Amino acid sequence: MARWGMVIDLDKCTGCQACSTACQMENNRLPGENYQDVLYYTEGKQPTPVLKWFPRPCMHCEEPSCMHVCPTKATYKTEDGVVLIDWDKCIGCKYCMIACPYGVRFYTDEKPLIEPNVKDVFKGDGELSWNPPYKGPQQDNSKGIGIQPNGVVSKCNFCYHKVSKAPEGTADLSNDDPAMREFVPACVRTCAPTARYFGDLDNPKSNVNRLISAKRGVRLLDHTGNKPQVYYLSGGAGPAVPSGRGGANNA
Amino acid sequence: MSTLQVKGSVNRSLMAGLAALVVGGGLALTNLISSGHASFNTSSSGIIWGLPVVGYIFFVLISTGLTFVASLAMVFGFKEFYPIAKRCIWVALVTLVAGFASLALELGHPFRMLWAIPMNFQYLSPLNWMGVFYAAYMVLLLLKFKKVNSGDWNSSGSKILGIASLVTVVIAHSTLGGVFGAMAMRPMWYGPMIPLYFLLTAAASGAAVAVLITYLTYGSENSMPPKVKSLMQGAMSKAFATVLAIVILAVVSRTVIGLWTNADGMQVWDHIVASYWYWVEMILLIAAFVMLLKGGSPLVPAVLAIVALFIGRYEFLISGQLVHLFAGAWVTGLIDYTPSVTEWMIVLLAFGIVLAGWAFGEKALNLAAEPAVQ
Repeated sequence: MARWGMVIDLDKCTGCQACSTACQMENNRLPGENYQDVLYYTEGKQPTPVLKWFPRPCMHCEEPSCMHVCPTKATYKTEDGVVLIDWDKCIGCKYCMIACPYGVRFYTDEKPLIEPNVKDVFKGDGELSWNPPYKGPQQDNSKGIGIQPNGVVSKCNFCYHKVSKAPEGTADLSNDDPAMREFVPACVRTCAPTARYFGDLDNPKSNVNRLISAKRGVRLLDHTGNKPQVYYLSGGAGPAVPSGRGGANNA
Repeated sequence: MSTLQVKGSVNRSLMAGLAALVVGGGLALTNLISSGHASFNTSSSGIIWGLPVVGYIFFVLISTGLTFVASLAMVFGFKEFYPIAKRCIWVALVTLVAGFASLALELGHPFRMLWAIPMNFQYLSPLNWMGVFYAAYMVLLLLKFKKVNSGDWNSSGSKILGIASLVTVVIAHSTLGGVFGAMAMRPMWYGPMIPLYFLLTAAASGAAVAVLITYLTYGSENSMPPKVKSLMQGAMSKAFATVLAIVILAVVSRTVIGLWTNADGMQVWDHIVASYWYWVEMILLIAAFVMLLKGGSPLVPAVLAIVALFIGRYEFLISGQLVHLFAGAWVTGLIDYTPSVTEWMIVLLAFGIVLAGWAFGEKALNLAAEPAVQ
């Protein structure tokens, strides 16, 4: 069984946000609720300011604190290493959102980021929180895939509806292999500069492991002990892992 | 029914409580039914746990503190506390219900919780253990109250229930502390001493509410039986002052350490200390302590302490979330949060439950009863 993980090469990432857009299309995301987001940071001052950008999906941690705090086991980890949410078990207590160090979880019932509220334009039918004209082909509440019901938490699922269908023993899911393309997560598939790689972290011969080893992949906020399965490569010119959490540090 | 001639203050409290129930409950439910939690000012990129959770912590820790006060007589043998023990048990029950109501209205699926937690119990979650022990505490309190209400104060069964209630609530409030203390990714909450901090503040809030309801019951000191009056001015005031002093020390030490540390997320302490409300809290706590030391009626100190402790609960819960986890350069400070009307109405509903519940008990359940032979 594979243990899926992602590598993001920050030296290749151009901050174009095609990954966010592809994710929004694939997973019917609402404005402001990007499973995959790109954050922009300005560090330093004139005349030497630095603009950084930082792509941030769910880290699908080895030791996910969100899963440990979930009172109903609605958040769980699959055998192939992906952290998912069972919307039929989620009670909307939001403890997972408190416990996630990366801020990648979203509660359904909130004020809209922009008006008009898309949910009011395409009203839900009671089961789903909204009913867009285009819906992804997959609705699987037990895996947190598709349109959220009301009162639950959702997050990036590594496009589990795709990757879980990959043939057993696959080392890497990449656009380079036409036979594998349908199984590649939307953000990886659309990344124009090929800054994203997806594969089996338990397979020493996988490209993701080769990159982590050769380019010294690092994990975000590793001190929290969550041990993300998303690794970042950086070290040259261009974007780098930000030094802090932002917000107050930017003041 | 009643064996006590209730004072006008009890009737007024009942009316006020019912009004708060109707207004708070009515508005909160109307908004929740029409807009769901979009009627809250919480958000995934902002404050996640809002004012109703503040209300939950505030009320369940009052419940914890009231059990401590009742246990002084029933478990530890300080017999002078018997005249207020039954009242404390009843109000502990009522405040627990108020806390649960406040929390339930914050949940996305409160009814699903009833089957989803037992069927899928995650033993690693502090939240679950908090639920288990607070539920057990509620059952034990109910049984204990039933015993006391039937005049059984000192049978071995009644004593065991009293001890079990105390032990369970100590564990329950510790697990509530653990809900926050275990969050290493939220440094403002993190630490093994948070359960102890909750224990201290729970004791202070319990003492304050015990004093307040005693004064509300009798209207004034002159109407109190001599035993109650001497308890209020003597042992109760001293115990209250002692625990308040330790609370002040705990708040000051948290502030100093919070201001000193550079850990990312602790910048919030600069914001807390710059806040007008922090100084209101400190001044009220210190004023209450000084007034208790000077002697006389503990009523005003009790009111001051209750207000200060509510501010403290808000400060603890909200400030722990004010520093963004990850935010881009467009965010230039802390999260901006003001509770919505719906959130306030939920807290008003909880206050209504407490006031009306207590006043009902005072009228119907003879809360002034005490054992015939002590």
